[in-house]
Parts: sequence; structure tokens; C-alpha cells
Amino acid sequence: MLNFLSLIKNEQIKLYTRMGTWSMYIILFAIMLIASLIVVFFGEADEQKYGDDWQAQVTAETEELKEAQEEMEFAAFDSEIAKNEYYLENDIKPHPYDAWQFTLENAGLAMLISLFTIIIAAGIVSNEFKWGTIKLLLIRPISRTKILFSKFVTVLLFSISMQIFLFLISLLIGLIFFGMNGLNPNIVQMGTEGIEEVSVFSEIITQYGLYMVNLIMMATFAFMISTIFRNSAMAIGLAIFLMFTGNTIISFLSDYDWAKYILFANTNLRQYIGDGSPVIDSMTLGFSITVLAVYFVIFLLVSWLSFTRRDVAGN
Amino acid sequence: MDISMELQNVHKTIGKKEIIKGLNFSIRSGEVFGFLGPNGAGKTTTIRMMVGLMKITSGDIKINGISIKDDFKGAIQHVGAIVENPEMYPFMSGWKNLKHYARMIPGITDERIKEVIKLVGLEKAIHEKVGRYSLGMRQRIGIAQALLHNPSILILDEPTNGLDPAGIREIRQYIRNLAEQEKVSVIVSSHLLSEIELMCDRIGIIKNGELVTVEEVNEEQENDQHVTVKLEVNDNAQAMTVLRDQLGLEVSEQQSILMLQIEKNDVPNLVKRMVEENIEVYEVALERSSLEDKFFELIGENTIA
Repeated sequence: MLNFLSLIKNEQIKLYTRMGTWSMYIILFAIMLIASLIVVFFGEADEQKYGDDWQAQVTAETEELKEAQEEMEFAAFDSEIAKNEYYLENDIKPHPYDAWQFTLENAGLAMLISLFTIIIAAGIVSNEFKWGTIKLLLIRPISRTKILFSKFVTVLLFSISMQIFLFLISLLIGLIFFGMNGLNPNIVQMGTEGIEEVSVFSEIITQYGLYMVNLIMMATFAFMISTIFRNSAMAIGLAIFLMFTGNTIISFLSDYDWAKYILFANTNLRQYIGDGSPVIDSMTLGFSITVLAVYFVIFLLVSWLSFTRRDVAGN
Repeated sequence: MDISMELQNVHKTIGKKEIIKGLNFSIRSGEVFGFLGPNGAGKTTTIRMMVGLMKITSGDIKINGISIKDDFKGAIQHVGAIVENPEMYPFMSGWKNLKHYARMIPGITDERIKEVIKLVGLEKAIHEKVGRYSLGMRQRIGIAQALLHNPSILILDEPTNGLDPAGIREIRQYIRNLAEQEKVSVIVSSHLLSEIELMCDRIGIIKNGELVTVEEVNEEQENDQHVTVKLEVNDNAQAMTVLRDQLGLEVSEQQSILMLQIEKNDVPNLVKRMVEENIEVYEVALERSSLEDKFFELIGENTIA
């Protein structure tokens, strides 16, 4: 075990000695900062600061939305309207935009974290081949299995640390620009069975967690490709291509029932939560989790077979 | 005599091609064994099998009696190696690179790392990034990483590759020191005889995946042995007359140097005769390397096969 921990330490050092890794954190930080500035200058942050006569304000706003709904054919303000009606009915004063809200919205930046994690996962094995250091790595009294899994764990640790970074910095930037409505305020949002009131913290955890599913699947896929082909460009390209086209592929194939066994039909677990609806009607949350688990095990198994069984031949 | 590594009928087939066709030889404890052959003869493939990077198709390799096939961890812990180029993480310092490898084997202290750095003479550059190292420094850090865990066998694949003559000389001295003082068995591979001849106790020649011969280097020449003598004198014509007529020897002339075959016993006498005849002798050289002839005979002049 001590052995395995020092392997992980080695991987961490190799990862964070390189400037490229830090630049990922810097890019993420910059994007959060830009997002906050956009909200500050162009956003609805100010508009939502309701005064004492908030009931009148909300009613007026609802009327506007209803008009817009009728004028424009494709406008969909149903959930907004429903939310406002909920506020009025239950006599809840809407919270102004705050750090929690900002953090919740930034959950979408997990896409960027997926991208970065794919890059790390695609390089962590293949770079050792590119640098030629794999030869020195594999002639130590340590099994190849341990070395491979120390690398996979490092990828997971990287993505988790990025998520934590995203969460904490979002909260911090949000706090500076928008302030905070208490430590764990409730927010009103569209749930599976109409409007519901949930704690913001649990909602943030849910959102981040759901993105994490997609992230881990794509990173594991990139990790597998990089182990098989020993080439990071190939792994990055393929994983990113599939990440962006996956949903399109599924929508083409959604008429066929077997499409539900495709990885991308299942990576978005948000389809079972809130106002989402499953890609294919017969799919359930349990089904998707099972499919994801099977893919995950297959990806790791293929990586493991490829890494432990094959010769390390010349370049 | 103790055997530190033994190859038993080792075969390697890649696809349908048989790359290594049954190697049998052993390395004695504390000797420097040269592994010589033209490019593509199977040296690196053999070395990769010795350190477990490649699987052995059939046969076995035993390191201190432990099979690398059956007990990889048990066998490899006695081995330190550089396979092909000594590649390190270019973005980390020499020290960090060594620490990295040290963490993979329990019980390597910082003192040991410093000791190894001193041994290879890298104290000054150890905190610089390896990416900025010269080729010679990279060879040294490569040797350092191979020595960290006090291995009883050191495998160096083409350690002189790309080094200048001074660098080659330096490496040669390290290797001799290691073998003599630390009793490490060293296997060095090369495609150039001249680069490893002076550091090896024995040389095995490999060609097309087969071991052609294993030769002792620097064996004491018996006095009644025939040797080839090269003579450089001021007057070739006179010297040839003396050698042919008075000593009854066969002499040939190559690029104004006289070549002849005599018994080693007769060499002093020959020199004496020359001096008596007032011939000025610039150089008398015994060409003792039967190895070089053998190498060329076996491999052919063109080493790029």
C-alpha cells in the first residue's frame, strides 16, 4: 500500500511539475472571472433585487413573460412563470442573485473540466512512451498493474481537484461580486413533479455530481485509447470527438431500441432528474447506471490487458 | 565461479519472424560482458527480455537463479539498466528524477542518492533540469538511476552511443570501477567493437539472433604464439632484405608499413637485428586483437546490416 501511495505521489509530481497542468487551472479561473464580469455588467443580478413591494414586481414580471409567450411562437417561459406563481402563492420573497446561484450556474464549466481531464488521461500513459521513460518505469520491482492503476487514480484525483477548485473559486468570486444569502438557502426550481424547493447546496452537489459521471466515462475512454495506441493525440481527438458528437449520434438512432445500450445515451443522467425526459422511453436510472458500470469496467479491463500483456518494443 | 545471469535457450518470435534464435550464455559475477553485434542483430531485443520489457517466447532468463518469467519482482530487483537511450523526464531536475525512481524501491535513502550522484560526478548539475543536460550528462544520470538500489547486475545498452572519445573513456572507467570495486556484473552492448573492447572481460558476438561466439578479451598471450607485427622503419627496402634473407620471414608491405607473422619469442631478436643493421625503427606494434579479425570475419566490414 505504501508502495502504491508513493507511485501516486510520483504521478502527482510529474503532473504538477509541468506548466501545462497549471495553465488548465489558470484558464478555468479566467473563465470564471469573465463569467462573473458578464453577470455583473450585463446580467440580471440587479433586476432581481426585489424591494418591499416584491409581490407587485413579480406579478408584473409574470405578466410580461405571459405576453412574450403568446407573441413568440417558440418562447418557453413556462418554468419561469410557474416559479413566479409559486413565489406568490407561498409568499416567498425571491432571493437576489448570489454566490450560490453563480456557483450553481458554473456547474456547466464541468464541460471544460472534462476536456482537461481527457487531455490528462490521454497523456498519462502515452507520454511515458513518448518520452521513453516507460522503459525505466517498468523495470522496477513493481507490477505493471499497480503502475497503471496509480496513473488512473491520478487522473481521478486531478478531475476531483479541478471540481473542488471550480466550486471554491466560484463561491469566492460570487461572494466578492454578488454576496451570499445565508449559508445554505433554499432555491425554487422545476423538479420532476412540478415546482419544488430545495437546498442550494444539495442542488450544487447533484449538478456537479451529474457532470462528473460524463467526465469520468470520457476520461476512462481516453485513458483506454491512450493505453492501447500509446498515442495521446489519437486519444484526445477520439474522446473529444465522441464527447461532442455523442448526443447527435444518439438523436439519430433514438428510433431504435438498441440505441439505449450506447454509452452516450446513458452518460447524461440529468435526463432522469428535474424536467428532463429519457432519450429512449424504456430507459430508467437503474438501467443507465448499470450500462455505465459495464462500460467503465470494460474500458479499464481493456487498458489493463493492453498495458500488462504487451511488449514494450522499440520506438 | 558464480553466475549472475543465465540465458537458457532464449527464443523470441514477433509475428512470424524469429528475431532471437536460441541464445545460451551466462554472465559471471563481477565481470564486464560485452554484447556485440551489428544493428538489428537482436541486441536490444535480448536486453529487453532480460529486464522483462518483452516476453520470452520460449526458454528462460535467470537472474541470480531467479527466473524473470516466473518471479519478475524477485529477479528485477537485482538489476539496474539503461535500455537504449537514458531517457529521463526532461521537465524535472536530475535530483527529482532520481527521487522519482528511488520512491519505486523501498529503502533508498537520500544519502544513497547523493552517494550515487557523487559516483557519476553530477554534483554540480543535479538541480538543473534534465532537458538541459548534454548527452554525456544524460548517460551519467542514466547510470545513476540504474545504480540506486545497489544492483548486482548492471545492463547498459549502447552506453557509448553519441558520446565523444573523452566521454567514452570516462564511461569506460566508471564501468571498470564498478566491476572491480563494487563487484557488479556489467553487460554492455554495442555495435562497435572498438568502443567496448577495452572495458570488457568477455565479448559475445550476436548476429541475426544467434550467438556466434564468446571470446575472452585480453587473454595473456603465450610466448610461442604467432602474432602479427607491424613495423615502421626509415628504410623499408633494406629492412625487407634483412627480414627475408637473414631471418627467413615472409614480409608484406601495406601503406609503407611492414607486416609479418612471427612467434612472440622472436620479437626482441628481430628488433635487435634491425638496430644492428642501422635501420631506424619508429614503431613495433603487436597486433594482438584476433578479436577484431574475428569480428569482421563474422560480421563483415559493413556493420550496418
